[in-house]
Amino acid sequence: MTKSFVGGIHPPYRKHRTCTLPIERMEAPRIVVIPLLQHIGAVCTPMVTVGESVALGQKIGDSNAQIACPVHASVSGRVVAVENRPHPNGREVLSVVIENDFHDEVHPSVQPKSIDHLSPVELVSWIREAGIVGMGGGGFPTHVKLTPPEGVALDAVLLNGAECEPYLTTDHRVMVEWAEDVMLGLRCIMKATGVRQGYIGVEANKQDAIVALTRVISGATDIKVVPLAVKYPQGAEQQLIYACLGRRLPKGKRPLHIGVVVNNVHTAQAIAHSLRTGLPCVERVITVDGECVERPGNVVVRIGTSFSDVLAARGLVGEPHKLLSGGPMMGIAMYTPSVPVCKCTSGILALALTESPFAEAMTCVRCARCIDVCPMLIYPTLIAQYGERGRTEEAQKYGALECHECGACTYVCPSRIPLVQWIRRAKSDIYAERSRAQA
Amino acid sequence: MNDIKVLWRGIFDENPTFRLLLGMCPTLAVSIAANQGLGMGLATTAVLVASNILISLLRSVIPDKIRIPCFIVVIATFVTMVDLIMAAFVPALHQVLGIFIPLIVVNCIILQRAEAFASKNTVWRSALDGVGMGIGFTIALLMVSAIREILGSGTLFGLHVLGFWQSFEPMRIMVSPPGAFIVLGLLIGLINSLSMRRV
Amino acid sequence: MEINKLTVSSSPHLHSNNTVLRAMLWVLAALTPATLFAVYYYGAYVVVILLSSTAAAVATEALILKLRRKPLRAALDGSAAVTGLLLALNVPASAPWWLVAIGAGVAISIGKQVFGGIGHNPFNPALAARAILVVSWPERMTRWVGPGLVSAATPLAQYRAGVAVPAHADLFLGLRPGSLGEMSVFLLLLGGALLIYLKIIDWKIPASFIGTVALLTWALPTEGQTAFFAGNPLFHVLSGGLVLGAFFMATDWTTSPLTKRGRVVFGFGAGLITAIIRLYGGLPEGVTFAILIMNACTPLIDRYTLGKSFGSTRGAM
Repeated sequence: MTKSFVGGIHPPYRKHRTCTLPIERMEAPRIVVIPLLQHIGAVCTPMVTVGESVALGQKIGDSNAQIACPVHASVSGRVVAVENRPHPNGREVLSVVIENDFHDEVHPSVQPKSIDHLSPVELVSWIREAGIVGMGGGGFPTHVKLTPPEGVALDAVLLNGAECEPYLTTDHRVMVEWAEDVMLGLRCIMKATGVRQGYIGVEANKQDAIVALTRVISGATDIKVVPLAVKYPQGAEQQLIYACLGRRLPKGKRPLHIGVVVNNVHTAQAIAHSLRTGLPCVERVITVDGECVERPGNVVVRIGTSFSDVLAARGLVGEPHKLLSGGPMMGIAMYTPSVPVCKCTSGILALALTESPFAEAMTCVRCARCIDVCPMLIYPTLIAQYGERGRTEEAQKYGALECHECGACTYVCPSRIPLVQWIRRAKSDIYAERSRAQA
Repeated sequence: MNDIKVLWRGIFDENPTFRLLLGMCPTLAVSIAANQGLGMGLATTAVLVASNILISLLRSVIPDKIRIPCFIVVIATFVTMVDLIMAAFVPALHQVLGIFIPLIVVNCIILQRAEAFASKNTVWRSALDGVGMGIGFTIALLMVSAIREILGSGTLFGLHVLGFWQSFEPMRIMVSPPGAFIVLGLLIGLINSLSMRRV
Repeated sequence: MEINKLTVSSSPHLHSNNTVLRAMLWVLAALTPATLFAVYYYGAYVVVILLSSTAAAVATEALILKLRRKPLRAALDGSAAVTGLLLALNVPASAPWWLVAIGAGVAISIGKQVFGGIGHNPFNPALAARAILVVSWPERMTRWVGPGLVSAATPLAQYRAGVAVPAHADLFLGLRPGSLGEMSVFLLLLGGALLIYLKIIDWKIPASFIGTVALLTWALPTEGQTAFFAGNPLFHVLSGGLVLGAFFMATDWTTSPLTKRGRVVFGFGAGLITAIIRLYGGLPEGVTFAILIMNACTPLIDRYTLGKSFGSTRGAM
């Protein structure tokens, strides 16, 4: 019996080209561009200068801000530039550009650790030092998530193995091939937060992952695998918590306020990997797919590898209509392929026009399909119509700030209205109004 | 604004029916046939001109605080005169228009012109304003009632204009209130869109 | 790869193949069995009515869109054709072609375009036009006939008059006089089921509409049947335009509520008014006016049935 939530859609999953292929390792590129912002929070200050030699795993940027995370060199070589470079978030971000000497010389600070020898506080501190952020796309610094404020009690750790976005199979393959690391990572998180019960939510279309995880858990009772209904957006944090634990997240609160910590399975695997090898977060698995990709699959890529290098390695066929970072429902369209793979990049999709056709928007016909599928039970068409006209009060009343932009509404709209775009506009107007009011 | 403009704008720019949207009640109720519309329009015009003149003559005498009751008294007087005259000389029309002749007293056109113009302007200009507004109202009534009569009864001023079309079945909604609203609404829309294009 | 060929737009980048046209084509398909039955029952001349209405609707929409200087493709989204067909299915078989053509023109112009076109009309265009036709040509709109244009009374009129009504089986299959589309309950249910399965209409409206009519016609006394809870609900559900109205007219997207609870309220209200008109009112059939009155209530219903969002802990939004 699979768990679920109200609403949601069933887009074509298109995972068949990559979900059975084993993870491959891509060769390190000649140049890596490491942005000093690969997380939600403050930009790091560079710790290296042009001309300096760096080793693999060396910390090259950090910040004193509370919500920040260090970045490390993913190759050994020489720093050739510290300057603004295009970033997958659409803007230009200060980045450290390293020329690879292909020696992969490891930095002396890289020392393996054992989970048993580290206290919870030391574990959290190690997670910070290793630069671990949410790798499902969120990019929130994990150590901050594992440090709840005073008075907040946590009682459940939930790993997100739903991977509901079409095309993406990164988490799927990580769970199948590196199930031990996923479990070890979960145990680290549980130890770090003092939580006794852990869950791994996996959509039912990944039976091999469920089998692999169950085998690795081998009868332990403090970790449960929860099969989930195959629906989009099952992997959205609020829907995941509701489906696995039956708890609703109140408006404006975070999961820690209801005692839950949610992490992506790849994040858990990265924690375990970094403990075992001592290496900080310098590489990750991404799905490369789309009709314009000759050899789709999942690849381990060094952080900082440009999208164009990845596409060259996997073969580009024809001219892509859209180049996405992430999945097709919530991913960001890139204007240039010269952006680097970051810690929170879950996939590179080179889509042809047939896969992502364009249609002109018409007027809303009040069919209410968007309202029927919305997992947050708000009113997308009303928010969008008010947002389009700058009427922030009504937009807020119909739920603008609760929208997590999953895109289910826009997917079903028969009038092809770009609902998420207008809702984003409404949200940004609301926030701008608030900051003006405070100023 | 010169005197000609005072007269003219009551017919076009500030037509009481199509622009000011005043006097809706008689417009909707008695525009079933063209002769009714014409009769009501002329009766209203007579009352309007007369009351405008008198109120303008008395404008410095009427106290401000009780001006509305004073206007009503003046208007009611003229309406009663018109009512009796119509009963005497056009009894059939008087019969058909029925209660709507006394209701001219509360026709917003007359009260509004008294309040907004006659009480603040000279007698000559008030008279011109009354004539202009009255003609505008009459033309509007004629337009609405002509459409309603032709579509709803097949006649115009009682003459069978669609006689050549043997099988014409009148559209009965036109001679009932919903048809009035529809015709009036569509006319206002048409006039608005035409005048917007000219600008 | 050339940089200037990449398209940058907001997520999501995938879309279902839902379009208004697709939905409208399915509605036409769902109405086809009942429409063909009308041709079978009355004869080929009803094709004139069907074509006249549909063509006039599409032509009027194209003309008005041209006058409004809007893109013409909105005329081809199928909604005008559906309005035209539904209007044709709501008139007696004796209706002349010009009647439905004028009705279709009125439906599109006054019922829809003056409000701003698709998505903006407060009333179901086909029903608004039908109401206008009933007032404009009352004899024509109540000249019910049987096959071969022989004058006949509808089951509801017979019920009113106290004469015998057709058997339930005949009512269900459609072997009785009525407006073109309302006769074969069986074929209408098939079409309705198709639309519900395809999620083009919400089952809540027909369920609460028909359910309410059944409940009230069973429970309430009338002058012929003074006891409570002794009515004939099956007869009432199977006769008149209830099934046609509940599945194809009340469920019109633009004029029915957005919220789930609102739709139940809407169906209930329409059922209530239909039952009252049929049992106590001056007309034998009340579905047209019931739906139109509830259409007027839709914005109010929407306002008061807003549900709690996922993250609301207390109280409505």
